[in-house]
Amino acid sequence: MKGWFRSLQARYMLIIFMALFLVQASYLIISIIMSIGLDLYGGDDRSGTGELPSTSAIESKWHEAAGRLSDASASSVQELFVEWKDMYPDARMFWVDGKGHLAEELAVQEELPSIWTASYTAQFIKSRYGGDPFTVIAFVGQQGTDGFIVFEVTRELFEPPINKVYNVYGIWLIIGLIVVVVLFVLISYLFFRGMRRRLVQLQEAMTIRDVDGLPVQIDVRKNDEIGQLEQSFNEMVVELKDSKRREQEEEQLRRELIANLSHDLRTPLTKVRAQAYTIGKESLSGDGRQAIEAMERSVVNMDRLIDNLMAYTLLMANKYKLEARQVDILRFVKEHLATWYPLFEKEGFEVEVELEKLEHPSWTIDPLWMGRVLDNLYQNVLRHAKQGRYIRVTSESTDTYDAIVIEDRGAGMRHVESSGVQDVASQRDQARTMDEGDHASPSHRSEDQGAGIGLSIVDRMLKGMQLEWDIRTDPNGTSVKVMRVRG
Amino acid sequence: MVHILYVEDEIEIGSWVTRDLTERGYQVTWLTTGEAAEQHVSQADIAVLDVMLPGLDGFSVGKRLKREAPELPILMLSARSAVEDKIEGLGFADDYLTKPFHPDELAARIEVLLRRAQRYEEVLELRHLKIYMKDGRIIDKRDGSEIVLTGKQYYLFQYFLKNLNHILTKEQLYEAVWGETYIEGDKTLMVHIRYLREKIEIDPAQPQIIETIRGIGYRVRR
Repeated sequence: MKGWFRSLQARYMLIIFMALFLVQASYLIISIIMSIGLDLYGGDDRSGTGELPSTSAIESKWHEAAGRLSDASASSVQELFVEWKDMYPDARMFWVDGKGHLAEELAVQEELPSIWTASYTAQFIKSRYGGDPFTVIAFVGQQGTDGFIVFEVTRELFEPPINKVYNVYGIWLIIGLIVVVVLFVLISYLFFRGMRRRLVQLQEAMTIRDVDGLPVQIDVRKNDEIGQLEQSFNEMVVELKDSKRREQEEEQLRRELIANLSHDLRTPLTKVRAQAYTIGKESLSGDGRQAIEAMERSVVNMDRLIDNLMAYTLLMANKYKLEARQVDILRFVKEHLATWYPLFEKEGFEVEVELEKLEHPSWTIDPLWMGRVLDNLYQNVLRHAKQGRYIRVTSESTDTYDAIVIEDRGAGMRHVESSGVQDVASQRDQARTMDEGDHASPSHRSEDQGAGIGLSIVDRMLKGMQLEWDIRTDPNGTSVKVMRVRG
Repeated sequence: MVHILYVEDEIEIGSWVTRDLTERGYQVTWLTTGEAAEQHVSQADIAVLDVMLPGLDGFSVGKRLKREAPELPILMLSARSAVEDKIEGLGFADDYLTKPFHPDELAARIEVLLRRAQRYEEVLELRHLKIYMKDGRIIDKRDGSEIVLTGKQYYLFQYFLKNLNHILTKEQLYEAVWGETYIEGDKTLMVHIRYLREKIEIDPAQPQIIETIRGIGYRVRR
């Protein structure tokens, strides 16, 4: 319950209730003002009516008083007038006697004729009927021969006092009402503005990233709905960090495992090589020497296979870190080829290099990845195209792409089917190459096996760097094109 | 005699490498753990370290040795081939060779490191040239005359000698000697190489010392 009172909903309800209360309070205030007004304007306790009793009451009282005048003398009429003047200070009275003379008058301001003819009387009655001032005409006595007395008073005096209060305080009432409405709108606006500001701040805070790329926690200042949202966000951040940490730990474990596995496989391999080398230094028969050479080759192949397997495992699990940057591809390929040149030279390869200008020589690649791709491609040339003793590395620019082309004159690569380790991508590429009409026949297989995983790595890494590649192989040689498609 | 400090816990590999390097004319101190390596650092010209060692690992040993003797070249020789390991190793070491390696490759890399650190008390013989590595004197063996190189030619040739047997691209050479970015089509380097060849080659038209590797660059090979 305590929490509920802190909620935005509760606060907005409070604003609504306050507004309602203010409206009610304003009524109350008006009533108070009115009663003060009545006190100022009324004075007696005839509350709810005007200063005077109702017109009909005055009329009947006046008739009654006139009827009671049996002695229609000036003095008695005068007496009556004075008595009524006491009661109604604003009233004006006069008497027209039986002969039509204006016999008596009290506080009459208008000019009255001294002789009242029948026609004037009729005109007077007509003009006063229902008009202002309020006029009562009553015959004196019971016979109606003593003329009539007239009582008149300004009609304004019959209006209820509230009208007067309105006349005086009306403007203030309207101002008060406007103030209440403006106050309500202002408070509502401030309330929502505060809420909006906090939401915007929250949104901004949610977009801030820590060094690890995850969002940072937010200071929770209030315990309302937004505060709860911030709280939930913080919990989410903690969970995210937790999960990231777990993921990193797993990744670390996996790396460690692979590194250790690699180490454990390579150590005995080194020992095998050491033994082979030692034996190789003895004087051996031709067969013995051949066996040692085969052993040496196997060690090298195993080494490469282990390396590729590790790389492939990491690649498949998306754990091989890609750090792409702008690299001058021609320079990169040249420098990389420089490290391979001695090996090709040793194997008696003719190396032809034509790395001319490309349309766009700046490629976004990870040098480590690209180095590995080229390593695998050159390895394949060394292993599968030994017979051709030729490698050509060229650059090619067309309207749609820039490419690095590696060609050899080997017997083609139709080894993948039997390599034992292969990848759908390389199978697909092999299949595609066949479909595109190369003339490879199953009899043309390179002697060496095991390029499947190497090509799978090439495929994955090039795709990872948004590069295309194409392999064409036939009994006269293989051509691999690594392309950067423009546009 | 060049002294190699070698740390390797695998007995078979250790004895094989020690024997091979000794046969190649090096003096080898082989330790099976890294703890005592620092005691030998003052006599060593180069350190060859395995990574996975019992106790202190090769990286820690290497870092300690580097702290002790910053000039000492260190070659990490490891069965760990992950990029992360290589990067960590090359953070302080001068070279990283993965197992299984060929002893010729190990010997070649040791030689390069020694030459780079100028620890070789070597007189390099290249065809008809005799080069005193420490003072940079070049003698034509045929008549015993000294070949004098001008500033840029000297630096260029020194750079070739430091990277003996390596193919160097035009870009690498230009940037190393001139310290500026190479602009495709710049003839400066070619002109200097022509002058250099005129001084050191018997027949500059058919160079024997500075080979041209077509499409890639140049190489000075033993």
